[in-house]
Amino acid sequence: MAHVSVPMYWRTIPQRYKLMGQKCKKCGAINFPPKGVCKYCNASSEFEEIQLSGKGKVHTFVLISAGGAPPEFADQEKSSGSYPVAIVELQEGPKVIGQIADTDPKEVKIGMPVTTELRKIYSEEDVIRYGFKFVPEREGK
Amino acid sequence: MAIGISGYGVYIPRLRIKRDDYAKAWGSFSAAGVNEKSVMGYDEDVLTSAAKVARRALESVPLASEKVTRFLLASTSAPYVEKLLSGTVLTSVGIPNSVLTSDHTTSTRAGTEAMLAGFEHVQANPSGNALVAAADSPKASMWDSVEHALGAGAAAFVLSSENLIAELEGHASYASEHFGERFRPREDELLHDLSVKKFAESSLMSNTTKAASALMKRTGRKPEEYAHVVIQQPDARVPGSVASRMSFTEAQLASSIVSKSVGDLGAASTPVALASALDAAKIGDRIMVISYGSGAGSDALSFKVVSEKKATVSFQSDLDRKEYIDYVKYLKIRGAIV
Repeated sequence: MAHVSVPMYWRTIPQRYKLMGQKCKKCGAINFPPKGVCKYCNASSEFEEIQLSGKGKVHTFVLISAGGAPPEFADQEKSSGSYPVAIVELQEGPKVIGQIADTDPKEVKIGMPVTTELRKIYSEEDVIRYGFKFVPEREGK
Repeated sequence: MAIGISGYGVYIPRLRIKRDDYAKAWGSFSAAGVNEKSVMGYDEDVLTSAAKVARRALESVPLASEKVTRFLLASTSAPYVEKLLSGTVLTSVGIPNSVLTSDHTTSTRAGTEAMLAGFEHVQANPSGNALVAAADSPKASMWDSVEHALGAGAAAFVLSSENLIAELEGHASYASEHFGERFRPREDELLHDLSVKKFAESSLMSNTTKAASALMKRTGRKPEEYAHVVIQQPDARVPGSVASRMSFTEAQLASSIVSKSVGDLGAASTPVALASALDAAKIGDRIMVISYGSGAGSDALSFKVVSEKKATVSFQSDLDRKEYIDYVKYLKIRGAIV
């Protein structure tokens, strides 16, 4: 398993639990996940914290099936079957990688509108690591 | 000053299992009146569900999460026996870190217990907003018939003194000492139930009817004044038994019998059933809520509906969105195959 220590994971909570991104004070681009130096202008390390909407569209995706899951996701695959992992283009611009939950994997399509919600990502050292996953945006509700 | 519910939200996980699948596996199904029940996905738990309903409840007002002044979480199946649970949800939803939070965890009465604690906050702080989230997915041994009814779901309420949907008219509680029915020793992850059915039934009847009678005496209301009666649902038959003892009718229960399609929601049972009743309620309707938790205790709350503002996602809408799983997949997701 790719070990992520408890303090390391803890530092990523604002981005994982509630999609806090950063806006570059020099070029105005939105970075997510947060970076040390703006990945768009490579010229600034000063940012303003901004709350992202979590909404976006599936840019591309892949289905992870038996044998393909990293060790920390192997039990999830065994219990629930193959799961989609997507690159989602958020409304604010950044392209973000994440699982798509709460849907039949066969229903996932490029361009599909999604939003984010809190899910269990995996457990390590008996500590549940929570974070966002994408879920289909429901129309009409 | 009137206080009450100014917003609400409900969430039913997408997976369902039918009673027929239990009957195929075990030869029978023990949850009276339950046709199917909801199941949390592998990557869900009561905290992720609480975060979801908390957001939905805030959206329905609408109220910014920074305006919450008290947060309360209720569940009997939290992922940790010790560790603050409300902090996970508070962080995800964006509730200020400085608000008092509380975790209500040891009884299926916890949902109404948290609501009443939230109302006390609003009573003392008229400009405050209490957010109550109840989420549950109780767990028992697959060999135990008490397991058959156990479902999963969540509901949340914003309590305040402004923009009310339903005013709180009064409440009453009753607590007593009973044992042997639905309990979980500290060292055990799974529910126990000694199946002393008559004894358990008398505890349920006496606690619920005493709380509800005390409330009606206090408010001067009569059973027929209620359009909706919401009663704890360990299965889909119990509400009818309590109702008939209290001179309530089946028609008064109709808007809130959620257990027939989602099962026993534990501490989220009366909260989800109340959300379902609010979905159907009209201005002027009165709603009676009667919870029950083994051990034993009951809370009764009386509401008067003053607005037809509804949740952004209805109970029925979440109910309609579903995927059936068979019993083997259920065992895998519930971690019963090790």
